[in-house]
Amino acid sequence: MENILELQQVCKTFPKTNFALDKVSFSIPYGSIMGFVGENGAGKTTTIGCILNTVLKDSGTVKLFGKEMSDTDTELREKIGVVYDGDNFPAHWTAEQLSHVMQGLYTKWDNTLFQKYLADLRLRPNQKIKHYSRGMTMKLAVAAALSHHPQLLILDEATSGLDPVMRDDMLDLFLDFVQEEDHSILFSSHITTDLEKIADYITFIHNGKLILTATKNELMYNFAVMRCKESQFLELDPNDILAYRKRDFQIDVLVSDGKVAERKYRNAVIDHVSIEEIMLLLVKGERV
Amino acid sequence: MKGLLTNNFYAVRSSAKVFSVFMLALGAFVTVVVSQQLLLFCMLLGINGFSINAIATMGKDYTSKWGKYKLTSPVKRADIVKSYFISQLIWLLAGIVFSGFVMSASWLLHGCPFDRSIDALLVFSTGISISLFAGAIFFPLFYLGGEERNGAFLVISLLFAIGIVMGITTAVNFVFGSHMTTWQIISGAMIVFVCSLLTFALSYSLTVIVFKKKEY
Repeated sequence: MENILELQQVCKTFPKTNFALDKVSFSIPYGSIMGFVGENGAGKTTTIGCILNTVLKDSGTVKLFGKEMSDTDTELREKIGVVYDGDNFPAHWTAEQLSHVMQGLYTKWDNTLFQKYLADLRLRPNQKIKHYSRGMTMKLAVAAALSHHPQLLILDEATSGLDPVMRDDMLDLFLDFVQEEDHSILFSSHITTDLEKIADYITFIHNGKLILTATKNELMYNFAVMRCKESQFLELDPNDILAYRKRDFQIDVLVSDGKVAERKYRNAVIDHVSIEEIMLLLVKGERV
Repeated sequence: MKGLLTNNFYAVRSSAKVFSVFMLALGAFVTVVVSQQLLLFCMLLGINGFSINAIATMGKDYTSKWGKYKLTSPVKRADIVKSYFISQLIWLLAGIVFSGFVMSASWLLHGCPFDRSIDALLVFSTGISISLFAGAIFFPLFYLGGEERNGAFLVISLLFAIGIVMGITTAVNFVFGSHMTTWQIISGAMIVFVCSLLTFALSYSLTVIVFKKKEY
């Protein structure tokens, strides 16, 4: 399958903070949504920065639409819509002024579509952005990102801080966007329930390293957590353990195939696992 | 480029409005009152005020994520820098037009407001050069030292620009002597202006180099 975005062995070190992205590799096929999960400071925004060239990577390759994007590849950036967490635009602007600026930046800026989004999302075109609520600001950012007909949406914590109703509105917009088979979304978030609703693939990042990439269905239907006693845990085949976490009276063990584990370890209690629990086990647990 | 210039215009618009009202009032007063010092002050303030105001608002792009967002849009980093330089020139032109208007009005009402008519050229040359030097120093500093130090860099740039213009003028006076001919005065003004223009052009290249290494 062809990929809209491909990262291979991307590295970036920040000597001042001692943080490093370590050989980050993943890809997003056309027509899919990739959830990019990790705790705060895991490296999600740095990875996105490397993709968009707002952060200059030390090594590795990033291919967008099959091509490495340099500063001069403005035609590639025409096809990308971006939404950052928080204030994307100057607070002294109105949505109308934003449209004027965007019209001068994007050749395919569609003012009619933008006005339609403003009406659908109940945003006043002549109200200053500084008077918008946080939810309205994020809605405006999504409307702006979609109004130049991008093929790839890159969302950096675009739903964080929003109430469940607004988040749901946003997710509907994103699902509409990927109805076109050549559209894709990279959706960075630590709100795992959002990703459970819309993502096709999920990539986990922790301390600058990718720790797991899988389809959402695989994670939700195959992955499982075994609740073991210490004695049961010691009898497990280390190859079956993705990560484990000691609790008071039990050890939770993440396995990649619950059905296989059920057949192999008949006495163990095996539960379905949510994306959040997978993240916690991978981040807070120990890996073999 | 059109979008970037529109962005810069929106950034400066509200403060330019306030400054314009103040300058119109000052201009009207200076036109009526006969005072060479006041006219000089008003003209220099007009030439520099609008353009300095324009570069002072650069920091507004970075109070939100807009500065970073712009990099994800289909523009080159060099174009972003170019847009700031062009904006400064546009506002400098506005200042020149304003000062020219005030000077002409004063001249019409009261006759030549200076000791010699050629002094008018010196005022414009000095004002324009201060603005160009200030911009030339400010832009690379802005990216090099961080957007949050915007205010401090602006003051430093302006003081250095005044110092450089004074330095070049002193050097010209030293070379040509105290009793300069009209052509020597014009040459002196041209030397100051050309130096500032060259520095402004060089600063563009330097700012592009600095900005290309900047991460957000």
